[in-house]
Amino acid sequence: MTVIHEKLEDTGAKMRARDVSVYYGTKKAIDEVSIDISPKYVTAFIGPSGCGKSTFLRCFNRMNDTIPIAKVEGLIELEGEDIHSDAMDVVQLRARVGMVFQKPNPFPKTIYENIAYGPKIHGLAEKKPDLDAIVEKSLTRAGLWDEVKDRLEDSGTALSGGQQQRLCIARAIAVDPEVILMDEPASALDPIATAKIEELIDELSGRYAIVIVTHSMQQAARVSQRTAFFHLGKLVEYGPTSDIFTNPIEQRTQDYITGRYG
Amino acid sequence: MSPITLILIAIGLGLAGWLAGRAKAWSFQKSDPEVRLVARPTYHAWYVAVWIVVPVLAFALLWSIIAPQLVTQSVLASPAAQALPEFGFERDAWLSEARAVATGNASTVFNQGAEALVGAYSEAISRYNLIGIVVTLLIAFAGGAFAFLRVKPDFKARTRVERTVMVVLLLASLVAILTTFGIFASLVFETYRFFSIVSPADFFFGTFWGPDPMSSVDNTDGAKYGAIPLFWGTLFIGAIIAMIVAIPLGLMSAICLTQYANPRLRTWVKPALEILAGVPTVVYGYFAALTVAPAIRDAAVAVGISGASTESALAAGIVMGVMIIPFVSSMADDSIAAVPSAMRDGSYAMGATKSETIKRVLFPAALPGIVAGVMLAVSRAIGETMIVVMAASTAANLSANPLDRMTTVTVQIVKLLTGEQSTDHPTYLSAFALGFALFLVTLLLNIIALRVVKRFREAYE
Repeated sequence: MTVIHEKLEDTGAKMRARDVSVYYGTKKAIDEVSIDISPKYVTAFIGPSGCGKSTFLRCFNRMNDTIPIAKVEGLIELEGEDIHSDAMDVVQLRARVGMVFQKPNPFPKTIYENIAYGPKIHGLAEKKPDLDAIVEKSLTRAGLWDEVKDRLEDSGTALSGGQQQRLCIARAIAVDPEVILMDEPASALDPIATAKIEELIDELSGRYAIVIVTHSMQQAARVSQRTAFFHLGKLVEYGPTSDIFTNPIEQRTQDYITGRYG
Repeated sequence: MSPITLILIAIGLGLAGWLAGRAKAWSFQKSDPEVRLVARPTYHAWYVAVWIVVPVLAFALLWSIIAPQLVTQSVLASPAAQALPEFGFERDAWLSEARAVATGNASTVFNQGAEALVGAYSEAISRYNLIGIVVTLLIAFAGGAFAFLRVKPDFKARTRVERTVMVVLLLASLVAILTTFGIFASLVFETYRFFSIVSPADFFFGTFWGPDPMSSVDNTDGAKYGAIPLFWGTLFIGAIIAMIVAIPLGLMSAICLTQYANPRLRTWVKPALEILAGVPTVVYGYFAALTVAPAIRDAAVAVGISGASTESALAAGIVMGVMIIPFVSSMADDSIAAVPSAMRDGSYAMGATKSETIKRVLFPAALPGIVAGVMLAVSRAIGETMIVVMAASTAANLSANPLDRMTTVTVQIVKLLTGEQSTDHPTYLSAFALGFALFLVTLLLNIIALRVVKRFREAYE
């Protein structure tokens, strides 16, 4: 049974999941999870490895569609619209719900082309100056503009790991999404690059609804306002981050937070 | 003494040495448990065995070359040889007949005069066999004893054995490299002879190809050796028409297989495509000559092109293109599959469709591999002979019309070398000049392809 903290005041959910289950073949990876994602806050998904938090995150932009054996059941809404309905095109959904992956995955193109990729395929810029403006704005928001403005024609893969990850965040921002999903965005980075990413998440929150999967409880405590604890495919406890970390209701959450397992 | 006997002796002695070496190495450990062998007993065993087998085989090789000559010399020195005819051909015939009877390869001689030599041969052969066996045993014993005496607890047998293994592996790879050099050297030599008769300018820039094997060797007309029509035909059939067929079809099938096909379809289609690569080119040849070429001729006549021939560059090029589809598609398949799936996911997560992802991310990322595949396919196509012989005629023709008869470098080489002619005639030698030019071009293409592949590998590591 999921424990939802009472202090979780309703802010009009951006995304809503109801009784979502995910199967890989016959194995049930996510078991009837219901959650509301607030538009104003950063929501962190924490839990031990293999608890299904990344799998669940990938439900929100239907990335599980790309895995042939994965099957998603239940209802997921974006602004009240069912994302699996015929009226919702998966291409449009992914433009509205961006994603940043665990390992930085810039395309083997120039920095400029990496950012321009999304706006081009979605037809967001009519002319070159418009596109230039989008690239500059996205890189600025991702805190990368000053570092790369003189070498936009260099390959995106030539940047350092932390810069690559911020490039990927800029790439996601470029199509002006409403939600950004982050799947352990700092787990492949060193502490300094991690700090920069966390700072960036802080700056972006409020403008975008952000959902971040993380292994690091310190990171969840630092960047998020809402925390959901997953265990064995189930959502165990969901509430304000400060409550989850200082005053968890469930024994399992308590054990995980204090490092007794996981 | 037959080579098989020698090899068996070498193996037998080697085995004996192996066991002796191991036993000695073991004995150190048994007699004193404190002693630690630097190398395991098996390595000592192999060390002794190598020292027996390698010298014996080297001697066997040498002996198999010189023994027959020693036998012949001793036969010639015998009294029976006085009756031999002076005339070279008959003399050789008698000798070889006598040898055949003496070794048991023939029952009787044809020339009665050779009969007398059989005894001398038998005697000489058995004498030298005996010498061979004795020397073999001496060498084996000397090598074995040398190695056996060196077996000590602190002897680093493993490094020696591994060095031997490395040398053997090196020799194996040298065979292929030396063969390539040998081919290259023979081509260079004959090409040089050709260019001392016909000027390179005539050959590389002349536009008429019509060597006349009946012409006088001394009075050669360089103007008949213009290879431009051949180079053009090769390029037109192998690199243009075939590629127009193979590149789009190969790429599309690769994209279909990697991105769209479900696993079950893939397990059927991929091997089926690869079977195409295994079909002998002769089979493609008659498919081109009997099916495709007449169909093209009929189609050409139907649209009002008169004088279309059943032998056309188009037919050969199309069939050649089909032949190399598997080359293009399997290289493209591999390099598209090698693009990290994170790239694909990144593109999908940006809201790109499957075709946008293929076009803008997967294809550019896989391009170096695809280019390398195409290069290899081109070098395969321009080296192809059989299809062109059967479908595109042997008439050299400088034309841009794909319905014309045309020929390629390889076809001309076959034509030039299969006739009966003097090996000094420039007509014969020109085949080597053509081969040399072809060799250089395919070598260049392969080097470029390998470099491109290397760059591609570095991109994702």
